Amino acid sequence: MLENNATIVLAIPVAILLPLGVALLINSHVRGWRVFRSVFFLPTAVSWVVIGFVAVRFFANDGILHDLLTRVGLGFIHPDALSHERSALIAVMITFVWSMFGTNLIIFLAGMATIDQEIYDAAKVDGASAFGVMFRITIPLLKRFVQFTFVITLITAFTALFSLIFVMTGGGPGFGTTTLEFFIYQDGFAQSYFGLGATAGVVLFVAVFAVSMLQLRLLRVDD
Amino acid sequence: MRKRWMAGGIALLATVVLAGAAFAAAGASRGSTVTLTLWHNYGTGGNAAATNNLVAAFEKENPSIKIKVISQPSANYFSLLQASGISHSGPDLAVMWTGLFDLKYEKLLVNLKPYFTAAEMAKINGLKWVAPNFNPAKGFLVMPLENQFYMGFYNKALFKKAGLSGPPKNWSQLYSACAKLKAAGVAAPIVYGADPQAIQSSPYPWYDMSYLMGAILSPAQFKGLYTGQVSWTSPAIVAQVSKWVALPKKGCTNSDVLTKTDILGAFAKGQAAMIIDGNWDAATLQKALGNKVAPFVPPFSDKPQQAVVQYSGDGFSLTSYSKHRKEGAAFLKFLTTPQASKIIAAAGLIPDILGSRSASSLTNQMLDFAAKQHMTPYPMIDNVTQSEVVTTGSKQLDDALGGNISALAALKSMKATLDALPAARKGPVYSG
Amino acid sequence: MSSLAVARGHATRLWRRRLTRSLVYLTLLVTTVVMLYPFWYMADNAFRSLEQYQLQSGFSLDSWRELFRTLPIGRQLVNSTILTMGSIALILVASTTAGYALGVLRYRYSSAVFLLIISSMMVPMQSIIIPEYVNLARLGFINHFYGAILVYAALGAPFSTFLMTAYFRRLPEDVIEAALMDGLGYGRIFLQIMLPLAVPAIVTIVVLQFIQIWDDLLVGLLFLQTPDVRPITVGLATIPSQHLLNVPVLMAGSLISAAPAIAVYLVFQRYLIAGLTTGVSK
Repeated sequence: MLENNATIVLAIPVAILLPLGVALLINSHVRGWRVFRSVFFLPTAVSWVVIGFVAVRFFANDGILHDLLTRVGLGFIHPDALSHERSALIAVMITFVWSMFGTNLIIFLAGMATIDQEIYDAAKVDGASAFGVMFRITIPLLKRFVQFTFVITLITAFTALFSLIFVMTGGGPGFGTTTLEFFIYQDGFAQSYFGLGATAGVVLFVAVFAVSMLQLRLLRVDD
Repeated sequence: MRKRWMAGGIALLATVVLAGAAFAAAGASRGSTVTLTLWHNYGTGGNAAATNNLVAAFEKENPSIKIKVISQPSANYFSLLQASGISHSGPDLAVMWTGLFDLKYEKLLVNLKPYFTAAEMAKINGLKWVAPNFNPAKGFLVMPLENQFYMGFYNKALFKKAGLSGPPKNWSQLYSACAKLKAAGVAAPIVYGADPQAIQSSPYPWYDMSYLMGAILSPAQFKGLYTGQVSWTSPAIVAQVSKWVALPKKGCTNSDVLTKTDILGAFAKGQAAMIIDGNWDAATLQKALGNKVAPFVPPFSDKPQQAVVQYSGDGFSLTSYSKHRKEGAAFLKFLTTPQASKIIAAAGLIPDILGSRSASSLTNQMLDFAAKQHMTPYPMIDNVTQSEVVTTGSKQLDDALGGNISALAALKSMKATLDALPAARKGPVYSG
Repeated sequence: MSSLAVARGHATRLWRRRLTRSLVYLTLLVTTVVMLYPFWYMADNAFRSLEQYQLQSGFSLDSWRELFRTLPIGRQLVNSTILTMGSIALILVASTTAGYALGVLRYRYSSAVFLLIISSMMVPMQSIIIPEYVNLARLGFINHFYGAILVYAALGAPFSTFLMTAYFRRLPEDVIEAALMDGLGYGRIFLQIMLPLAVPAIVTIVVLQFIQIWDDLLVGLLFLQTPDVRPITVGLATIPSQHLLNVPVLMAGSLISAAPAIAVYLVFQRYLIAGLTTGVSK
């Protein structure tokens, strides 16, 4: 089960990099960027149950994903992602990345707002390319914001993901998508073995404590 | 820093005052009529309607008793019920499932035997499944509301088109029916997928398991599965489950057996010829398909299938902390009256009173399997198997049906789950 | 270089810029579709009856009528509002004071305390909720708003404290030193100087916690068991039963339930970004 937790952690970089990329696009202040900024955050207000419910209909064998693939002539791929342990976990991870997109995007946009326009102007004078500016200036200056999104995404992955798993796969097929916190929910809470749930919670707390120590180093808020 | 403590102090003070006010309010409301609370997890369907109508009729006959009906979320309902027992904020009457479920919550429930006459108890169908240790001599914990079926439905029009005169009765008839239906253009002879319309999106394998096991074990032998004397990995069981997980390869199902959504809709639209489901969908299917739909016992058997899963699936219990046991029991006794049966049948359910018929012809055909065709009634196997084994099985049997693991592997992990349980949970005396 | 070549180079650059721009728009539009899809799904199915949903053809207002017939939507929206506002108020009191203590005053073991707060952010709610329930039940706090508010506050305070601490640490120290020179005590500095400076961070907490608490199901379910105090999420959870789920009614309810959280975000969006900007930067 912890193995599944560990795999899900692999989704975190994606959940950070994708919004970072889109934030860079929006930050180029194309016309209507404010609208995009608002729209991209809206799904954050939708409950996990609905997100999971829609995601199932997206990934189902005769779902929208297959529909899209068929239309572009890739129908033979036929992913049927939720039927197999590995791919079901990947489908859950993709949905998770999707649900974190708005929050992380806003954080990056906030970060980009802190960067002085003069730095960009100076870079332009020096003849830096757009990509050069992005990699040499913008991203290094966003370091703290990247860390912040990391914390938020990690917390969500550890504490809120279970609702998504509940609706999308019920922890299956097999135990393919059963994470420790889903186990806590199912055996400790849903089956009313409250003591067991609390014990498993302690185990998770210890695991998380170790990660937190690491995080504190990463975050080092005090300078 | 002092400010902070002061703010905390004020907040605490305010809370205490509010709490005190609440207690005072609770003490003040005492009248001549007794008000009971009833919790159900029936959502908005027929069971909820039946419950409301039963309460209304009961209140009319007993003007001094009022029953407040509260609909609780069905997910986490039992956790909530158990938690409310801790805080004494729970109901007097509560919806309770039967079999091992009510045994699990036995401490929270009142044994109803002292409140019922022998004649009233004799009317209840399947009384053993609500009794401690499944022995009615020890009394009973739940007054069942309805008689439920795990049931297959088939589309008569599609069967006719494929040149079939009736539903299959055993494995080999099933295979040939699948072939003929395929030849007649039905892509999915039996449709499998996410539990029809449920919020959690994975198939529920225990409808099928009840019939798979019913074909090779007697109802009494189900206890062997509980104690481990009949091993989940015994050859007969492995053979049955292996045949079941081979159904997709035999061309009997849709290819996406684990993930197809809204399978009830697919059956209703005539895209599939058979579905394994339950009596609760009978009304929906009859509305969509009229007299083209009929029930059949899933033919997962070498000999003609003789098992029919017909079982008192849920009902109401009286909670042990209720201060109005007598009044609560009066409502439960009311459920045995002909008037109550009429109300229950009108909501599309089958009253759990021996000899009851239903308002729907489709459901009456289900009752006839045992009553007229002399099939053997079986309990829902997931209600008499330890919940841990059921949970493991739900995941592993799905995984096997999806072709990811073998039937034997799935059964082995169910056996491992059973082996890991403490002795008291699989002993000679049933324990939830 | 001839003027012609310059003009040609100019044209190429212009064309390239246009191409880049269209690619940017294409990406943003595709993202928009992906992000808005659930809303379309909810709207598409909320305006169908159950039969229309099963056959996926036809539209009607049946499910909306059914929703308002079966659930006291207005009452539950009010309950959700009381719960969310009350919890946020409590979270703000706790997190601004604690953040001030940890971020500005600092004391001997403040980093250890901070570490504990950070790790407590990641304990799954399901494992501690029952012990918490038992405690509040002993106090008789079940089925009262203040009981659930205390729980929400306890669950939301760690993250908010983390954010406030980070924010206060960013504020220049000379502001405090100057105030101390003027003879202000730490209490006054907090109320008169730090709090007004912290408005963007406070708004950030308000928006993030609003969405979290408004969408919560488990706390509302356990701690508020009677319909009169039930929040809307718990109300919606009573729609599905063991075997039947009325999808269109659930979608209609989900649209109503999502609306306030969206409104709060749209109103406070500007401050949210400002709060995150100062809270996390440097």
